[in-house]
Amino acid sequence: MKILFGIYRQDSGVIKIFDDEVRFISPHDAIDKKIGMVHQHFMLIEDFTVLENIILGYEKTKNFKLDVKGTEVILNELIEKYNLGLELNKKVSDISISGQQKTEILKLLYRRSEILIFDEPTAVLSPVEVKEFFKIIDTFKADGKTIILITHKLNEVKEISDRVSVLRRGKLVYETDNNRKQLDINKLSNAIVGEELSGKDFHLNKIPDTNPENINFLTLKNIHLKKKYVSALNGLDLELKKGEILGICGVEGNGQNEIVDIITGLEKNYQGSINSVTENISLVPDDRLKKGMIKEYSIGENIFLKNEKSFFITKKDLTGMSENIINKYDVRVSDVNSPLGSLSGGNQQKAIFAREIELDNDILIFSHPTRGVDINATLFIHSTITAQRNKGKAVLLISSDLDELISLSDRLSVLYNGRIVRTFGNEELRSFTEDKLLPEIDAKTNQSLYEEIGKLMIGIAD
Amino acid sequence: MELLNSIISLTFFAQVLRLMTPFYLGASAANFSERGGVINIAIEGFMNLSAFSFALFSILTGSITAGFILAIIVNLLFSLLYSFFTVNLKINQIVTGVGFNLLIAGITKFLLVLVFKSSSNTERFEGLPDLNIFKDVPFLDIVFSDYLTIFCFALIFISGFVLFKTKYGLRLRSVGENPWAAESLGIRVRIYKLSGILISGFLSSLAGIWLASNQNSYSDGMIAGRGYIAIAAMIIGKWKPVNIFFACLIFSAFEALEISLQISGTHIPTQLIQMLPYLITIVVLLGFVGKTKPPAAVGQ
Repeated sequence: MKILFGIYRQDSGVIKIFDDEVRFISPHDAIDKKIGMVHQHFMLIEDFTVLENIILGYEKTKNFKLDVKGTEVILNELIEKYNLGLELNKKVSDISISGQQKTEILKLLYRRSEILIFDEPTAVLSPVEVKEFFKIIDTFKADGKTIILITHKLNEVKEISDRVSVLRRGKLVYETDNNRKQLDINKLSNAIVGEELSGKDFHLNKIPDTNPENINFLTLKNIHLKKKYVSALNGLDLELKKGEILGICGVEGNGQNEIVDIITGLEKNYQGSINSVTENISLVPDDRLKKGMIKEYSIGENIFLKNEKSFFITKKDLTGMSENIINKYDVRVSDVNSPLGSLSGGNQQKAIFAREIELDNDILIFSHPTRGVDINATLFIHSTITAQRNKGKAVLLISSDLDELISLSDRLSVLYNGRIVRTFGNEELRSFTEDKLLPEIDAKTNQSLYEEIGKLMIGIAD
Repeated sequence: MELLNSIISLTFFAQVLRLMTPFYLGASAANFSERGGVINIAIEGFMNLSAFSFALFSILTGSITAGFILAIIVNLLFSLLYSFFTVNLKINQIVTGVGFNLLIAGITKFLLVLVFKSSSNTERFEGLPDLNIFKDVPFLDIVFSDYLTIFCFALIFISGFVLFKTKYGLRLRSVGENPWAAESLGIRVRIYKLSGILISGFLSSLAGIWLASNQNSYSDGMIAGRGYIAIAAMIIGKWKPVNIFFACLIFSAFEALEISLQISGTHIPTQLIQMLPYLITIVVLLGFVGKTKPPAAVGQ
């Protein structure tokens, strides 16, 4: 994709666009050929308004001055046509993730792109927002635009795409024809995971009862939190028991991050009480690039950051720590001591994940553990999370991937407006995940449960 | 009482506005560089360099115009060098800036002795011509006694317009906020950073020229930290032209106060007054901590 967008140049091979052979030297060349790309990590300037972000690089001017009014007219037409619902004068840092994505989309429309490339567009969206996004994609298709969608999520592939190509390790391994109806999800998943994993048993283990005494590892009672005069948590109650996975679902920004901050002690200005059996809590944070790791450090150094026992460390020890994780968790690196930031997203996540597991704490918090991670790493992370639960640890799982939550959680709480509005018990969830493959591979989902959770998440159920 | 009278007077206020010139030119210089993502802590050195080269070339050629133009050219050349080190070679900007300050201090001292056979100052020279438009208007005759001060006031609006209303400004700021995003949109990041630094070099040269012209000579150490204070004013002014203007007023007010005190001959030690701008800088910055936000990718 980076070659197609002129960020990298290919060593060999030919790219043809509308029958013209092209060789891009900079993104500008790609944009001129009507190629537009929405990167997984948005290319937006937080301190600029939506309008400024959109026109940047393709400004209209009138007597040396930016023609703001003229551009506004054009953009508002596009917003209306594609039903984007954007406010042009808001700062990007003040709008939601899905708003930021729409800003990126509008950027492409403004540049009259005909070939639109989306890299993991739904990774940061809630189910409702994903639906909205797909609607926009459909109107693009109706307008005769070409859309390339890069995703790890099979159900999305099935829902939206006309043709599917599977890439593995830089090679095209599988391609479907134009017939959308004949899309064989099993063939597809086999092509994706490759031979290493196919044939293995994905069934989730039955839960051993490690908590006959019904012990709470963590109790949050009536938590209130105000952030910048806005209340983020409104009387939150939460109990995390020994040997369970408690899932938290909700539209992003309803208090997920605040719960994590309060439990881990990053946020201290709250009201209410917290009881925990231990102060040592493992955390895999939601945004691995900003929290949880130092990109420039090696795996070993990143592990040592959380090591409170030793004061001194030798290079040999660090290499040993790296090697241990690499072998045990199958992290793929070119060099044992290469910086963590140079690994792929999935391998970075595995390394952070491994560090937190290895700490052997009783309470584990996983915030969006599989966001932007390939399917192999996802399967690995899922099976490790259940294994930890089976060992009697208490796991708090926060995610925007409902499939993931329903398949892993023993109990599932729905968070809305800083409060838990409903908790689904084990039986309610198991009644339909029992003896099934991971639901993201399974096409049949329990529509009614999804609908109910969906309503609770946006606050229209009682 | 006499002191109080001299402070609460139009003349005093006019002095404050006039003395603001080097601060505002320096702060704008720093701002254009930082908006493009490059910290220019070498403003102090750049001001020093242009003050010296203005005096040097004016005296050597006997022409103020030649001195003026050559001083600007020298600063632009040094800015080019600064850009080469920080943007192309990506050497740490603080280290480069401090290096430039020390290097320039050394060069000026060396040339001062070599050319003028003095370790402290050059001979006197005429300085920039006076502006005679407001000659008979009280108050304005003091404020706008020279061309650079007029330009300085115009600069408040010019820089605001350029930064926020033009294509160039939008792109320069995008480079300072998120160069990766700017690059993905086909913007040539290095060229914009270079342009910011060149504008910085140009404006700081005017600040130095004003100072040398104002005292009709160059003396060693005459910049006296004004370049650093200009950077502080830029931070207090939150990188916004109008706010920077008000921040600069605080500092020039203290300088005017210092002069009034010296003239009135009070018993307050002048050193104490000279200390005040720096103290104010620290206090104001303490009060603003967390509230000021530099361009996001500054220093990278």
